[in-house]
Amino acid sequence: MTTGRTDQAPAPGVRAPAGAAALSRPEAEGLLYRECRLLDTLQLEQWLELFTEDGIYWLPIVEGEPEEVAAGISIVYDDAERRGERVFRTLHTPVLDQNPRSRTMHLVGNVEVAGVDARGDTRVLCNQVIAELRPGGPLQVGLNETRLLAARCEHRLRHTPEGWKISLKKLLLLNSDQPLYNLTFVL
Amino acid sequence: MVAVPTLSYEDLVLDRSDTFQVHTDVYMDREVFETEIRNVFERTWVYVAHESEIPDVGDYKTSIIGRQPIIITRHEDGEVYVLLNRCRHRGAVVCREALGHSNYFRCPYHNWAYANDGSLVGMAQSHGYPDDFDKRGWGLARAPRVASYRGLVFASLSASGPSLDEHLAPVRPYVDCWFNRSPAGTVTVLPTAHKYPYPGNWKWQAENGHDGYHGNYVHESWQRVLDRAGEAPVRDIRRYRAGGCTRGFRFGHGLLERPGGLNPAASWTGRMMVKYPEYERALRAAYSEREIEEISKRRNILLFPNVYLFDTQIRVISPLAVDRTEVSLYVYALDGVPDSLNQGRYRAHERFYGPSGFGSPDDVEIFTANQTGLQARGVDWLLLSRGQHRERRLDNGEVVGHSTDEVPVRAMYREWKRLMSA
Repeated sequence: MTTGRTDQAPAPGVRAPAGAAALSRPEAEGLLYRECRLLDTLQLEQWLELFTEDGIYWLPIVEGEPEEVAAGISIVYDDAERRGERVFRTLHTPVLDQNPRSRTMHLVGNVEVAGVDARGDTRVLCNQVIAELRPGGPLQVGLNETRLLAARCEHRLRHTPEGWKISLKKLLLLNSDQPLYNLTFVL
Repeated sequence: MVAVPTLSYEDLVLDRSDTFQVHTDVYMDREVFETEIRNVFERTWVYVAHESEIPDVGDYKTSIIGRQPIIITRHEDGEVYVLLNRCRHRGAVVCREALGHSNYFRCPYHNWAYANDGSLVGMAQSHGYPDDFDKRGWGLARAPRVASYRGLVFASLSASGPSLDEHLAPVRPYVDCWFNRSPAGTVTVLPTAHKYPYPGNWKWQAENGHDGYHGNYVHESWQRVLDRAGEAPVRDIRRYRAGGCTRGFRFGHGLLERPGGLNPAASWTGRMMVKYPEYERALRAAYSEREIEEISKRRNILLFPNVYLFDTQIRVISPLAVDRTEVSLYVYALDGVPDSLNQGRYRAHERFYGPSGFGSPDDVEIFTANQTGLQARGVDWLLLSRGQHRERRLDNGEVVGHSTDEVPVRAMYREWKRLMSA
């Protein structure tokens, strides 16, 4: 089986259609940094606000387009309702898998504004390295280890009256098809 | 210096009419683990694949039995072969992919080539061997026994022992019900799986899949999510979870069973039959109403030692070390049902199971808490006696208990003890 990890970057020179709002790379970086800060400071309810109503938060196992996902399994495929549940569960219910909580640090690099998709949403590509630690007492199996997760990301951003919003956050982990331990924090 | 008592493997499970206890070494001792690999995984029937993962001639999948690397192939005769993944020349693995398609496996070291039924077809520079070198004696070793039941492929590294039919017989009626949620009576495994490792003993997962006692505590968070979503208030979920039963069988098999029925308010099958009239028609064409009621009971079935049949997935438990385990959740389609019914099942699976689900990771937290706690060696025994005083033994040897009782886990450890003592 092939996991099809081909680079999905479109040909250079693809631009937003005339009349559409253009997004500069510094603006895109600003949006990504803001998202990372919200995640790293556990402001998850504010993170929810970054998405459009039809937005998707997606951790695929194999490369692909979101339209293809329905017939298979992803690590995460959250529409607004599921995303709301995820945040509610993490913040307001007695979870074990986030007790203790993950400390995270997101690093963003290789940011590119890469044209628009079929719906006119602007594609922003980046690489992310996420460091994660769940601290605990001595001898605690499964805690006290810093993990590094690397991922190729694609955000699709839509210009709305409230500014740019995320219509898709796709994060393909380098080890997405490998055994994965506790990914219950928001990546 | 306190003398360390030496227990025989048989002594590690205390099975009496008034109590049932398991020794800490069962989860913590390296020698116990090595013996498990030999006596349990290399002797009994181990699940290795579902036939739908290798549908076409030339398809293969690699896996392990115990800790031995194997290849499961579909040969041109249509049969499934289970081969030890080890070149007969100098021992390198001949296949390093997880899944693929090839009629031949070529050793990367000296280019020995094998057909996918294991036969040696050639060696590089074969002039180094005499003309009468008998290639037939140097094929990839085959698992001594391979058998399948309704697409579930099992292999045994032991040439003797009960047949797969005998091995599965006690639990087969329930396995049939599990398959028969498909009007066609079959399932198709999806190409991608959820996999998670955990730093703990494999039996934590084996015990937990049919444990009906932990749900209200470990999964309180999940129950609150369902409540918030308007699917069911927490008190109703808890009432439902008190219903049903646990069952323990010969050969270590066991299951947790939830109430079924055709009432859409109380059963998944009932809901799906209302939502998808074509599903109802297909089920009614294939089965009687009484059979559908049996089919509709939700069951988590452990086929000892390494595979669980769950509502959305075939769950494989792979022991890597005494304190290291990998779990693979092979999500499957029910054949002969509307695509959207299956897609609803996939989304429901992602919601609860897998490394980011709202349920599985909570269970894994418990496995690690268990593994941490057992480092306290001032206590020797774990208590698995819940419901011993109220369980019923049926004429066929099956034991039935309350849905929160430890009936299936006792069945598992009785078989474990038998195999480990042999």
